[in-house]
Amino acid sequence: MTVWGSRWFRGFIIYLAAAGPGLIAANAGNDAGGVATYASAGAQFGYRTLFFMLLVTVGYVCIQEMVARLAAHTGKGLAALIREQFSLRLSAFAVLAFAVANVGLVVTEFAGIGTAFELFGVSRYISVPVAAIAIWLLVIVGSYRYAERAFLLLSLAFITYPIAMFFGHPDWKQVAVNTFLPHFIRSKAFLLVAVALIGTTITPYIQLYTAGAVVDRGIGPEEYKYERVDAVAGAIFSDLVSMCIIIATAAVIGGTGALNSAADAAKALAPLAGRWAETLFGIGLLGASALAAAVVPLSTSYAVAEAVGVERSVSKSFRQAPLFLGLFTAQIIIGAGVVLVPGNLFRLIINTQILEGVLTPITLVFILVLANRRSLLGAAANGKLARTVGLITVVAVGGFATFLVSLTVLGWIGISL
Amino acid sequence: MTRLFDRWPVLPTRDRPDTPDDGGADAPAHAHSPSAPPGRHSHHTMRPRRRQRSQRLLANRAVRDAIVSLAGVVGRPVHNQGGAEIGRLVDVVCRWTGDETYPPVTGLVVRVGRRLAFVDASTIRTIEHSQVLLKTARLDLTDFAPRPAEVTLADQVLDHQLVDVDGVQVIRAADLYLAPLFGRYCLVGVDISTQSLLRRLGPARWRHTPTPDRVIDWGAIQPFGETEQGAAPEVRLRTTNQGLERLRPGELADLLEDLMRPERQKLLDSLTPEEAADALEEMDPEELASLLREAEPGRAGQLLGAMEPDEAVDALRDLTSDERAEVMAAMAADQVANLARLLGYPEDEAGGFMTTAFLVAATSETVASISARLADDGGCPDELDAVALVDDEGRLVWDLPLLQLLINPGDTVLGDLVGEAEPVTVDIHARVNEVAERLVDARRMSVVVVEDDRPVGRILADDVLDAFLPERGRIHFPRLLQ
Repeated sequence: MTVWGSRWFRGFIIYLAAAGPGLIAANAGNDAGGVATYASAGAQFGYRTLFFMLLVTVGYVCIQEMVARLAAHTGKGLAALIREQFSLRLSAFAVLAFAVANVGLVVTEFAGIGTAFELFGVSRYISVPVAAIAIWLLVIVGSYRYAERAFLLLSLAFITYPIAMFFGHPDWKQVAVNTFLPHFIRSKAFLLVAVALIGTTITPYIQLYTAGAVVDRGIGPEEYKYERVDAVAGAIFSDLVSMCIIIATAAVIGGTGALNSAADAAKALAPLAGRWAETLFGIGLLGASALAAAVVPLSTSYAVAEAVGVERSVSKSFRQAPLFLGLFTAQIIIGAGVVLVPGNLFRLIINTQILEGVLTPITLVFILVLANRRSLLGAAANGKLARTVGLITVVAVGGFATFLVSLTVLGWIGISL
Repeated sequence: MTRLFDRWPVLPTRDRPDTPDDGGADAPAHAHSPSAPPGRHSHHTMRPRRRQRSQRLLANRAVRDAIVSLAGVVGRPVHNQGGAEIGRLVDVVCRWTGDETYPPVTGLVVRVGRRLAFVDASTIRTIEHSQVLLKTARLDLTDFAPRPAEVTLADQVLDHQLVDVDGVQVIRAADLYLAPLFGRYCLVGVDISTQSLLRRLGPARWRHTPTPDRVIDWGAIQPFGETEQGAAPEVRLRTTNQGLERLRPGELADLLEDLMRPERQKLLDSLTPEEAADALEEMDPEELASLLREAEPGRAGQLLGAMEPDEAVDALRDLTSDERAEVMAAMAADQVANLARLLGYPEDEAGGFMTTAFLVAATSETVASISARLADDGGCPDELDAVALVDDEGRLVWDLPLLQLLINPGDTVLGDLVGEAEPVTVDIHARVNEVAERLVDARRMSVVVVEDDRPVGRILADDVLDAFLPERGRIHFPRLLQ
């Protein structure tokens, strides 16, 4: 089966028709955190982060493949696998890390909603509480299915990025050189952007989602060879879109420094949309954020319920599931609450991606250990190559996170390198 | 919830289980004679009494002391008769045979130095909250290799999914309790309380105090701990909990939906195709599609063949054409032809949700011959309430209620029972609303579907109900986006 005949490609067509969003996992680059981070990277460093994105893509593909393989061969979600395969304390740690990362994402999404409405002149102190209540009600009442179609349609505005990229006439030679010629920039600013890029691309939430979706579709070891194509193609496609965002932004406002507002970020769409750029950006941001603001907290609740072993309460009725419902509500309240604290919303979005980047390696370690386990996967366990690439990815991602954390902690006690 | 002590004779215990030298090994020998398990009670009437009784029992420190928490004892030292530590407990091995309500412990896995050794149960003196004492000073340490029907509790059962047959729920074992019964250690209960999870998360010294607050008697558990490769199908079947047979198809469907794939397939394997098919008919269509997808095509075909045609068609619609072809290739030719015909009708028209397992008779037949056909043929659903009568050219002339077969003598010719009015029918292209209206107008439980005046199927009222009921509020995180 070729890429073009795969479920992924069909999913892409369906996605374009806005009939069904099977691509949400692959489409991670299009969520509020992703767009803000990629745009900011493009504005601050021009094309210079493209090589780093290439490395991130390799790691992302490798991790997505492992997750899909684990799910197809064991038939279990990540949280359940971790509970069964690790000690209870380690499982609790993994679930906690995942929950914190997801709360960070919920903050991102509400910040995205607030930012989008500010573009349209609505104060966040009105838009965010209203959005929080609306999303809570939509999910609890069960009519979320209909709303998500609308959100998806709105988020399609971001599909204009690749087109805007061509309209912005980027320097293609510079693009090629910066993508394929290895280089890094020695500065704390670059380190921060690097960790944010990792965090927004290899998000724990996406891994959990991928595993859940593979199990849910009933994909087993026999069908895995097709699923592998899907997982890899999806990851590559998602990162291509991300790189388009970086290039589009770099072409228009590259080198002007880190982005501080959505209005600046929207300038990347100006070559295509002219004076409608801000509106287009706002619409996309609103759709993507509202979509994720419901799904991300649900995924946390789902993972916690799976790990604690109260899946049954999830399957009966939403209203009869206190743990599930309580966690969901708490996340919405925290997410919306943090956004209401005065401060720069756009920077908040990027800062939460840095938090994701710091927490990502924890989930990755668990995934790598699981995928290496012969007692779990038998012949499908990681071979030498996958082991090595996986290990390098985890060490690199962990290294960036640790380096950033140590720099920050040292900064607190007055030492700067 | 606390069911552990209902069927369980009062425990033989010692007052101070922590002292190694007070004849602990003899204690199990004093175990009471087995008492017959009481019959099944209604949960609702029994619950208060149960709770009281178990609380009284748990207040008794001796009982608390007699059960050993598996999560607590794993990792603790194993001492020989002389009191010297020979290693640390890694796991406890049990044998599932299905003959015993409480699986006996057959041995221990002990880490001695750097290797894992197997210690046979016969050398166990006592298993205590924080240590294991052996009877002998000398030990033949053999490397651990699981034998058929043996499971390692900490590795394969603790923290894994189990089915509580009495409570009809899928649980995840937070702790397992061992107790001396009739001269040997047995697995007696499973703990599902959050308190036990917290106890295991907390400091090590919390871990060996059992907190049996929400304990389920092992007799009510359907385990799945078999290793993937080692278990022959017959071994799995023998470990089937008898209680499963008493579950309603809808309850089984709930369990199947809540289990993860390996456990789900094992539970399916332990049911007969008919039981399984009944349960599958009750499942959420999307769940069912994913279940059929993950089963082997042969098995999926067998299950679909045992289902009612209309439900089987519903399930097939959710599969892709490739998957459908694969499953149908494993089915009998006549079944495939029938299902293929039904698949040809649009899902939202009568032809798409009617059942073809219905009864057609010629007006020339007699009451007795129809009764005989009904007795022979198991293919008709129990809900069937009427016989479609056709003339010589196969056209429908009357829909004869089954009651007429009961109240008329066996030699009555069916043609004599044809009524005055037009039979109640719907067209094969009728929408579900139309079918519902027809059923309501006629006050019938079912209606015949006709194509060119010929009966081709029947729609039962419950199929129409399904279409009108709101979808169940199952939150399925990955599927939220589909």
